[in-house]
Amino acid sequence: MAVKGKIAQYSEMLKNKDISCIELTQKYIDEIQKCDDKLNSYVTVTPDTAINTAKIVDEKISKGETLGLLEGIPMTLKDNISTKGIKTTCCSKILDGYTPIYDASVWEYLKNQNAVLLGKTNMDEFAMGSSCETSCFGGAKNPHNINYVSGGSSGGVASAVGGNIAVYGLGSDTGGSIRQPASFCGIVGLKPTYGAVSRYGLIAYASSLDQIGPITTTVEDAAIVYDAISFYDDKDSTSRGKSSANTIDTLKNDIKGLKIGIAKEYFDGIRDDVKTAIEKAIKVYESLGAKIVYFDLPVLKYALPVYYILACAEASSNLGRYDGIRYGFKSEDYHSIHEMVSKTRSAGFGEEVKRRIMLGTYVLSAGYYDAYYKKAQSLRGNIVKAFKEAFNICDVILAPTVPITAFENGHAVSDPIETYLTDICTVPVNIAGLPAVSIPCGFGNNGLPIGMQLIGDMFCESKILNAAWQYENTTGDDVFKSAEMGVKL
Amino acid sequence: MVTHEEVQKLAILAKLFVADEELDKLTKDMEEIISFADTINNASVEETNFDNINGLSNVFREDVVIPSFSREDILKNAPDNDEGCFLVKKRG
Amino acid sequence: MKYELVAGFETHIELATNTKIFCSCTTEFGGEPNTHCCPVCIGLPGTLPKLNKKVVEYAIKAGLATNCEIAEISKMDRKNYCYPDLPKAYQISQYDMPLCQNGYVELSSGKKIRLNRIHIEEDAGKLIHRKGDTLVDYNRGGVPLIEIVSEPDIRSVDEAKEYVEKLQLIMRYIGISDCKMQEGSMRCDVNISVRPVGSEVYGTRTEIKNMNSITFIAKAMEYEFERQVDLIESGGKVIQETLRYDDVTNTTSSMRGKEDAHDYRYFREPDLVTINVPKEQVEKIKKSLPEFPTQKLKRYVEEYDIPNTDAQLLTKYRKIAEYFEEAIDGIKTPKTASNFIIGQIFRKLENEAEKEEFNIKVSAKSLNELIKLLDSGKIKMNLAKSTLDKMLETGKNVYELISESDMGGIDDNTLLELCNQAIQQNPNAVNDFKNGKVKAVKAMVGFVMKNSRGKADAVLAEQKLIELMQ
Repeated sequence: MAVKGKIAQYSEMLKNKDISCIELTQKYIDEIQKCDDKLNSYVTVTPDTAINTAKIVDEKISKGETLGLLEGIPMTLKDNISTKGIKTTCCSKILDGYTPIYDASVWEYLKNQNAVLLGKTNMDEFAMGSSCETSCFGGAKNPHNINYVSGGSSGGVASAVGGNIAVYGLGSDTGGSIRQPASFCGIVGLKPTYGAVSRYGLIAYASSLDQIGPITTTVEDAAIVYDAISFYDDKDSTSRGKSSANTIDTLKNDIKGLKIGIAKEYFDGIRDDVKTAIEKAIKVYESLGAKIVYFDLPVLKYALPVYYILACAEASSNLGRYDGIRYGFKSEDYHSIHEMVSKTRSAGFGEEVKRRIMLGTYVLSAGYYDAYYKKAQSLRGNIVKAFKEAFNICDVILAPTVPITAFENGHAVSDPIETYLTDICTVPVNIAGLPAVSIPCGFGNNGLPIGMQLIGDMFCESKILNAAWQYENTTGDDVFKSAEMGVKL
Repeated sequence: MVTHEEVQKLAILAKLFVADEELDKLTKDMEEIISFADTINNASVEETNFDNINGLSNVFREDVVIPSFSREDILKNAPDNDEGCFLVKKRG
Repeated sequence: MKYELVAGFETHIELATNTKIFCSCTTEFGGEPNTHCCPVCIGLPGTLPKLNKKVVEYAIKAGLATNCEIAEISKMDRKNYCYPDLPKAYQISQYDMPLCQNGYVELSSGKKIRLNRIHIEEDAGKLIHRKGDTLVDYNRGGVPLIEIVSEPDIRSVDEAKEYVEKLQLIMRYIGISDCKMQEGSMRCDVNISVRPVGSEVYGTRTEIKNMNSITFIAKAMEYEFERQVDLIESGGKVIQETLRYDDVTNTTSSMRGKEDAHDYRYFREPDLVTINVPKEQVEKIKKSLPEFPTQKLKRYVEEYDIPNTDAQLLTKYRKIAEYFEEAIDGIKTPKTASNFIIGQIFRKLENEAEKEEFNIKVSAKSLNELIKLLDSGKIKMNLAKSTLDKMLETGKNVYELISESDMGGIDDNTLLELCNQAIQQNPNAVNDFKNGKVKAVKAMVGFVMKNSRGKADAVLAEQKLIELMQ
């Protein structure tokens, strides 16, 4: 059965006056009030902003004006996307009380589209983490089972969207931070090609890896949101915008003859239930007429350390600016200005952030630069090249998103390295700047969702979304099972 | 092996204050993470001219003034300000 | 033992662009604190830099003007260090692929001071210390700079002074900076070491930071040279360190506190993309450059027959040279123009700053008109000179001050008539002359000139008068 996207469905209801935008918005605000004690997905709720926008939309409807697709649709933003006049903290104590004086380009655009912002959502501190638990507000929980984590770092967005207390949300993905929580929460997350979506206003973790993207309940919604936010932005020197046509135009195309690549390195050490689910998905694709191609990507075994070296190096530089002078938290326990800065940073950053700043400082410092940073940069080149070659023999690559399903609460914090290892399947895409979408493909032994990702060549979002939609359309409700909470219309 | 001294030196570069009682754990953590990063030492690297990730060049801005932000906005988030400046007050 | 000074310069020059290097805030000097700021230049989280095209163009100009090779591929890097005046805790600069390399500046002796590189980077903000409190103003943060790094080729304080003056001159000439040291738009770090004369090995160097006056540079270098020599002579060792010069006590002192471990952890700026400078662009910029002072000087001497000392005065400031060149357009005697400028016009300008400004009431076109009248014989030199003075006073042009009837010489008969008049009406002078006081004729020439309203040729008149009286 065809899965209809929520966005198109709600947009139609608004147009047909089945529901007013204020009513729709109020339903979401009410459900946030009800569910969020359990989910902890929102860190700032903005009911006034939301209702004000809804009023404008209702006025437009009453005047018979045509609505844009995202107009009047209640949504959320990860708390590292700058919103003028609305607190943006990266879920770090060091940005306590920080209220941006400018909008991130993506939000500026959506705001002009009358997107209804419900609030800002939880995340791992500065997007560093895989469970959302490094957040200074505590982690967001998994809507399928609140004893489990939502994943990270965009855990709040995934938790809110999966828990039906936002129609869609924007997250950011540096090493899997959109796809991994989407996978854990049984929903769709798209990490676009590097440069497709403007980073202006996204509080940087690792500049050469960060990318904003949509988290939605359906593939169609992901396509709609991606099409909207993938514009060229002259404030971001690395911005390119989308390559050509909207992905929605080719979303439902036939995929007969599509060559789907399987690289065995993605399956090293993955849990059996995850493996089984992926193998089933491969069968589904075969039944849809896709051709499966097997190959090796040996360089992937270095992807994880390469990722941590490069990401931490950039982070150590990006996070240098939090010094208590211009914004955010400031320690009052000091004698000199230097001491003020050090004390502010030590009290303001959490453990994981400090660990990564230290590692980043180490790999860039004199005497170690060549062995770590420079070598990792060369390996990055090799990984880019390996993918390029892979896309000579296939159209998309299919892989698990995470080797496991969601962790139990508190598990990730206890062992950092073990937690890093769960990023093994997601980081290669960021290293190579490629687009990838994670979609649900079943449930694991513990009853929690399993995700798989479809990886495309640069600016091939259309291809991966098309392949994802076909799978979603074939499987339907047993795989794309909504959590029993939040707004139901 | 990562020594306490090295960790302290890094902390100074990173502008982090490490109390003595935190030093043991941080050193251990660092050692663990660095040995993880060390796995790339085994990699044989093929020289690539890896540049920036999306291969763009010559992205420039024209030299045209846009009015600056109001000082009120600029200082809005400052923990302390005085005389139109960001302020770090003298302490003890 | 005799010691020799070895010095190299790192010179920071603020570029005269309209906007900052990575955002569209104005670069205007002064202004109330933090009023030339935006989210980008105060380093708010999430902001991204965007490179000002003009900055690259200006740096290439600087490179070409100092005989550098221009890199075809260049990039920006982050230089990480934490200081309250640096809002991002890194300065966006260039590390291993600067825009310009391997140039030189030629001194008047013909000696070349080699330049290692010229790169672009952003300036930091300003700290104001007030009774132990620290105030930060980011107006200057993000103003574009070029850093010109010389090789240690300088061997004397005089060479150092000339090098700095020469850089100033060149940069002003090509119009990329006003190089006002007192306003901080040109600052020098000086690396100094000493070594026994004849030695090929460099001694340990110290670096005097942030010098903003040529006088202080000279004094600081003299002091530091003495200090290092004394230290070595007394068996001590020079320590490699960064120094601050105190112009009140005329001494240098160590600058770094122990908090400042320096390891800049350079790496490529991921928020900016590669800079490609195609050869055609370099050629285009080269063509747009004005002729340099040294080339001009040579041309003035060779083509216009202007004495070297005068040519130097004319070429020192770009505005004067441009004025001169416009004033001699279509004129047979460029030297006349040169004399007018260096003589009468310079008298109106009190100091070097005014010469550089060259704000005078007579346009180059007006001067050109005046000289053309002189060239064509319509007016004589004395009239030209007195008219130029009036022009400088009033700003009027030559035609407003001299009527048609005043122009043109007078014919021989009129001259004869005027001379006869002079003889008749000045019997005393005639007597004096006849009694051997040859000078008496001058008074009679003056009479003739006056009565001809300056149109008579003074030399001819004198000849005629003598002829008549003998």
